[in-house]
Amino acid sequence: MFWNIYSKRLISTLRDKSTLVWTWVFPLVMATLFYFAFTSLDSVDQFHTIPAAVVAEGGEQEAQAFRQVLESVSEQGEDQLFSLQTTASREEAEQLLDQGKIDGFFMTDNQEPTLFVKKNGLNQTIMKAFLDQYLQDQEAVITIIHESPEQAGKLQTLFSRESFTKEISLAENPPTNKINYFYALIAMVCLYGSFQGLTSVSCLQANLSPLGARRCLSPVSRFVMVSADLLAGVTAHMLSLLVLLAYLILVLNVNFGGKTALILLTSLAGCVTGVSFGALVSVCTKMKEAAKTAVLVSVSLACCFLAGLMVSGINYTVAKNAPVLAWINPAARITDAFYCLYYYDTYDQYFLNILVLLLMAAVMTGLTAIFLRRQQYESI
Amino acid sequence: MIQVKNLVKRYGNLLALDHFSLDVLDGEIFGLLGPNGSGKTTAINCMLSLLTYDKGEISLFGRPMSPTNYQNKQEIGVVMQNVAVFNELTVYENIDYFCGLYVPEKRRRRELVEQALDFAGLQEYRKFLPGKLSGGLLRRLNIACGVAHQPKLIFFDEPTVAVDPQSRNSILEGIRKLNQDGATIVYTSHYMEEVEQLCSRIMIMDHGKELNTGAPAELKSMIRGGEKVTVELPTLPPAVLENIRELEDVERADYNGLSLKAACRTGGHGLIQILDLLRKNHLGFGRVFSEPPTLNDVFLEITGRELRD
Repeated sequence: MFWNIYSKRLISTLRDKSTLVWTWVFPLVMATLFYFAFTSLDSVDQFHTIPAAVVAEGGEQEAQAFRQVLESVSEQGEDQLFSLQTTASREEAEQLLDQGKIDGFFMTDNQEPTLFVKKNGLNQTIMKAFLDQYLQDQEAVITIIHESPEQAGKLQTLFSRESFTKEISLAENPPTNKINYFYALIAMVCLYGSFQGLTSVSCLQANLSPLGARRCLSPVSRFVMVSADLLAGVTAHMLSLLVLLAYLILVLNVNFGGKTALILLTSLAGCVTGVSFGALVSVCTKMKEAAKTAVLVSVSLACCFLAGLMVSGINYTVAKNAPVLAWINPAARITDAFYCLYYYDTYDQYFLNILVLLLMAAVMTGLTAIFLRRQQYESI
Repeated sequence: MIQVKNLVKRYGNLLALDHFSLDVLDGEIFGLLGPNGSGKTTAINCMLSLLTYDKGEISLFGRPMSPTNYQNKQEIGVVMQNVAVFNELTVYENIDYFCGLYVPEKRRRRELVEQALDFAGLQEYRKFLPGKLSGGLLRRLNIACGVAHQPKLIFFDEPTVAVDPQSRNSILEGIRKLNQDGATIVYTSHYMEEVEQLCSRIMIMDHGKELNTGAPAELKSMIRGGEKVTVELPTLPPAVLENIRELEDVERADYNGLSLKAACRTGGHGLIQILDLLRKNHLGFGRVFSEPPTLNDVFLEITGRELRD
């Protein structure tokens, strides 16, 4: 009997066109849009060499030394700072600057090198900092040679630029901004499971549909009926999530950092929570199905907003000022679980998130069963 | 089979069932006849424990009915007024689903589903989705889903609403067959012709109350009226109409500008008297109809208004 209810419900759900659009097609479309919109996001932080020029005027020793330094930091390689062009005259350099081919140029015809730029910006600031550092080092060298020539041997240490801090990664995977949007998408699709829960319970409420009334008349307990329906809802929704994950990993080549089994576990926990949430909203509100759907959409969006999936940083504010709200927000728990998988090399926080999700699902399913068991109708 | 005693059901201030009582005997087709809003569906929903009620007792199969009395529910079939099927399941899958709620054994269920498909004439539509069926076929699917498990007691709540005459006859035939196979039927409708030809006993109800109960012939014998006469005629002077009303065997008469309608006394010669009077007054007339009293006349007699008002 359970199998009959479960299998027919599953078939019915998989054939439902609106479900097909919203839980199968829509996430794939969103994933594709995210992919194209955020592909360049991770390359924003990468350094690009600065197009610059130096005017080859001034044959003094200082001018030649500066040009040599410039050429040395413009050599191709990991440490290349400038894409340097050498111009014969200032006019030629100004022409390049006007055409936007360079961000600035250095003149070496005066007593000390000077920088010419047309506007403010990051690259111009770097060029200015480079020049200032050069002049400072030059001054230091001259001072040392004049005042303490016996210390000249230690000049090498002045330019060694040794760093006493070391950058290490907390996890195997490099930090990336793009991945957060895909986490958000998966969390949103998990919460879309609430519509499965809503439909399952609505089809068991005599006051909402003739089908609900008809099923209430059968000799099957509501607990069995709702369990089979919700399980079918979870199955159908999990299938759509699997398709989404396969599309992200295999087609769009999104790197979730391996750990496929745990990604699936997170999706399943999120899916179960979403479905049971929809079931609870459906059973404890005395509204028509359209109104209940509106409630679900609003609550889902609110959860996603508070989880920082729309405005970055909101989740930290919520976690700081209303920690309970942060913990009971399923969207926050799903995304946090994904963050843990990607960035942490321990699983304590991850499994805590999964536990909280499953606990919420258990409480909501239990409440749904209690409400349904007591539900009788004054009118239908 | 069914015993309902002093059932009271209110929707806010509206009294939907007013000390409603009912006895349905084993093996009969019992008709609940009344206009829309008379309380037929409410009575059935209370009997099925779908609705709460304020007062009264309901027992089915000699056992009190409650939402968790699965023993009772196991033996009941319900064909609801609104079609209640899954739009995404085929005809076969829908019948199998609802039958499966009563019959867990798969092989037995397969037999029952095939029988239900035959019964409802849906064999050739077994792979169709409900959205592809006509209104009549959809109703037949609704019936097949309700009776596939071969219940002992079947409630039909206005199963022929919005159904074409051909499908209606097919549905009524099917109901008769179910009864012949041993099922007790409770049938509600506001179509008096259906109830009259189908039911062995009928309860006429209005405003949530029983007005009268009996076999169709018994109910018709309760009214004073005999045959109903309709005479088509283009004009009828008021004086002549008054003379017709004064005829010995005429109960009442009305003229609407096109035809004269008169209710005659039982056992009298109203039709002959009316036609004689018209001839004497040199009034030409067209077609003449005479029909025996119907349940509508019974309803009219009791309530002063027509069933379909």
